[in-house]
Amino acid sequence: MNITDLFKNIFTYTPPTNYTFALPDIAMDNKTDIKDNTQTEKKEEKNISPNIDTNLNYVKTRYNLLINSDIITREFTLNAKGQQYKAFLLYIDGMVDSQILNDFVLKSLMIHNNSNLSNNNKNRIISEAVDNNNVTIRKVKKFNLSDFIESCLVPQNNIKQSNSFNEIISGVNSGNCALFVDTLNIAYDIDVKGFKQRGIDKPENEIVIKGPHEAFVENIRTNTSLLRRFTNNENLVIESLDAGKITKTKCAVCYMQNIANSDLVAEVKYRINNLDIDSLLSSGQLEQLISDNNSLGLPKTISTERPDNATQHLLEGRVIVLVNGSPFALIFPSIMIDFLTSPEDRNLKTIFSNFLRVIRIISAFFALLLPGLYVSVTSFHIEILPTELLYSILAARESVPFPVIFEILIMEISFEIIREASLRVPSAIGSTIGIVGALVIGQAAVSAGIVSPILIIIVAITALSSFAIPDYSFSFHLRLFRFLFILLGYIAGFLGIGTGLFVYLSIICDMESFGVSYSIPYSSMENLKSTGVILPPIWKREYRASYLAAKRDKKQEKISMKWKLGN
Amino acid sequence: MEKSKKIGTISAIMLTLSIAVSYITSSLPRTFINETKSATILNIVYITFIVLFIILLFCNLFKKFPGLDILDISKYLGGNILKDIVGGFFIIYFTVSSSIMLRNFCDSLVVVYYPLTSYVFVILMFIFSIALVNRLSFNATLNVSSIVFPLVLISAILLFFGNIDNFSFRRIYPILGDGFYNTFILGLKNIGAFGGICYLYFLPPMLKQPEKFKKIAVISVIATGLFILLCVGTLLFMFSFFLTTDEIMPLFSAARYIEFGTFFQRFESVFLLIWIISFCCFLSITCKFSTHIFNKMFNLSDIKPLSIIFIILIFGLSLIPQNYAIANFLETNVYRYLRIAVGFVLGITILIFANFKKRKVGGKN
Repeated sequence: MNITDLFKNIFTYTPPTNYTFALPDIAMDNKTDIKDNTQTEKKEEKNISPNIDTNLNYVKTRYNLLINSDIITREFTLNAKGQQYKAFLLYIDGMVDSQILNDFVLKSLMIHNNSNLSNNNKNRIISEAVDNNNVTIRKVKKFNLSDFIESCLVPQNNIKQSNSFNEIISGVNSGNCALFVDTLNIAYDIDVKGFKQRGIDKPENEIVIKGPHEAFVENIRTNTSLLRRFTNNENLVIESLDAGKITKTKCAVCYMQNIANSDLVAEVKYRINNLDIDSLLSSGQLEQLISDNNSLGLPKTISTERPDNATQHLLEGRVIVLVNGSPFALIFPSIMIDFLTSPEDRNLKTIFSNFLRVIRIISAFFALLLPGLYVSVTSFHIEILPTELLYSILAARESVPFPVIFEILIMEISFEIIREASLRVPSAIGSTIGIVGALVIGQAAVSAGIVSPILIIIVAITALSSFAIPDYSFSFHLRLFRFLFILLGYIAGFLGIGTGLFVYLSIICDMESFGVSYSIPYSSMENLKSTGVILPPIWKREYRASYLAAKRDKKQEKISMKWKLGN
Repeated sequence: MEKSKKIGTISAIMLTLSIAVSYITSSLPRTFINETKSATILNIVYITFIVLFIILLFCNLFKKFPGLDILDISKYLGGNILKDIVGGFFIIYFTVSSSIMLRNFCDSLVVVYYPLTSYVFVILMFIFSIALVNRLSFNATLNVSSIVFPLVLISAILLFFGNIDNFSFRRIYPILGDGFYNTFILGLKNIGAFGGICYLYFLPPMLKQPEKFKKIAVISVIATGLFILLCVGTLLFMFSFFLTTDEIMPLFSAARYIEFGTFFQRFESVFLLIWIISFCCFLSITCKFSTHIFNKMFNLSDIKPLSIIFIILIFGLSLIPQNYAIANFLETNVYRYLRIAVGFVLGITILIFANFKKRKVGGKN
């Protein structure tokens, strides 16, 4: 944006844009607590019907087959003893091994071999004997279709029969396939798992010590299967949408149907569906295309490479978007504190996670304001420093020929160059450049009298603070806006910093991410539950974040560790 | 106003407190101590009770007009003409108050930190910041107030406890100061310290939960009273009231005496940083209220360009006083009475007459 545009933006009239989206304060629809949901689930327990159409309809409803893109039902005709039965298979694409499914389930059930076609010996004679009265006694086993399919038609090592939908669906969720046959009031849970395990790479940017070491990959179906495995619940809906007129890139919108706010889901789909673009090649592009306006360049979407992190957000009631060809999941909506949160926080004891969060907040403050405050204090507010320290700063600056603003800009820009250079070169020499740049140039600059030693300390603390921010985009934003505060500090000291901070905070407080205020919970402190700033102990995390207006606000019972109650 | 853009209970309380803070950080404590001397504490408690009584009356008068603000009530009472007159008075009050306060605050900053800088430059810093912020939503400023007010409160508490070694509690004697008449009759003028009440007249339609209006009003008054007590108490216990009257930004002077060990010798500039942000909130709130009233009077489709006009008006008015002494005189002797006239007399008179009309119309029906 050039200066003319800036002035035009401030002083000229632009008609207001009418598009607004806001989440309600509380979820209006289907707002129940966990106790009610448990009761509902008990009521929903349903047995398998002998009528295949009833079963098929039930499965379609339960899995939202009209919108769920990775749930497959394969209808076919099964041959057994010359009779033909309608049947269907239910499985999740990406979680089963297609080869096993084709060769050892579908092929054996559909093939017209002798065993399938012959209609004789429907009742099998197990044993035959003649008694004293010369009467022949035959022990006959009546033909049983369910046993016949299990013992003769499906050559699988792990197959189970069940008449409960819940058991069968649980198997499907974990990567098995279910076989439903007409006239049978049971279904088969057949082990055909085939998802990738540990072939998947380790996360490179979000490293945790105690958590799982799996990361998303480029293939969208592998990524959806990872989410399915972690959630293990049929309420996870994965809708497939296309973006880009030329590339028609597949995007998967994932959410928990019984948790996520329906308006939020609709809004995410609406924005993706209304993209008039030729191509979409990465999740980073999609993030920019569907996020709300943002004049500060702050990230409004968490981009994670960890399926466990994405699942955690799914279960909170957020919406995840996966883009084919991109190993990152986008999480909507995201608020500022999310960018100061690490996936490791959930695995650590509460006291340590909170300590780390406070450290990160302080780091963000330093990364943004420390150089500006230094310039202000040395230029306008020297009385804040004790006399001895002031003397040492003045003595150190004695040999420096430049004003403090020039001095700090030299160091900050040099540091940014070193950082950028170490990123662009091959990783083997990247660290060397960092060390050489930081140590040699810093030392040489002090010796040459270009900068003062105290400034090296300030720049180093600022740089380290920016590294402590878990989110790269957020850290980038702080690095950039630091320069603005340096300038304001130099112009008017704390007055400049104060007015700048007021504008900065106001813009942040004005920002929204998919209808959720970006500055929650630092502002709008109304009825907020589970805000995410200070983590409560794990047994006390009863509620989902209220600003998400989730359909289920409670995620665990008031007393979750029931074992402590004893008998 | 959409439901999501409406003001929550805490934000509304923070709004009125933010207004009070800006008075207190400028010259209000000095005025208090100057007029009531050693009876200041007693006077603050007395004034708080009076305002509390007025606010309860005020809430009762509003009860018959749920979800309506003073402009709607004026329209009900005297049609569009009265509505425009009342709106005009409030706009004048908000614009004049913010410009006088701005000039006073900037003059103080110039004296304290920027002796070589023109006050126009300092004023422009504030003007640019509110020009940028007033393009944003009303909630943005309110949310910033919610963030900043706790910091201001912490600064006031630090000011109190940091200076406790310098306190001389005997300074509250003689307890009645210059006498009963000065403390309780002339001291009634200090009611203007609760200027945040003027903003309550416009809150009912903006609230998420209008039924909590009474709660908001009562808590705001009590919290403002306690805040004034904390700040004025610090000054009264610390300085002789003869000295205090001469100080520019008396709270800032008190901050100079705090000792935080050897590393930070004088911390007052950090206090000033917090107060500057808080003052920006005050300016932005007044400007937004002026714009809101104007919009309600003339039913404009887009109010963003209008805010620039008000900002320019505030800037122009703040340049009128020739020096600090005149600005200070205007704040102490003109603005205070304007606050009482508009905030207490005009508003409550309209409410009383509207209630009479309502009763009369209701009786006929």
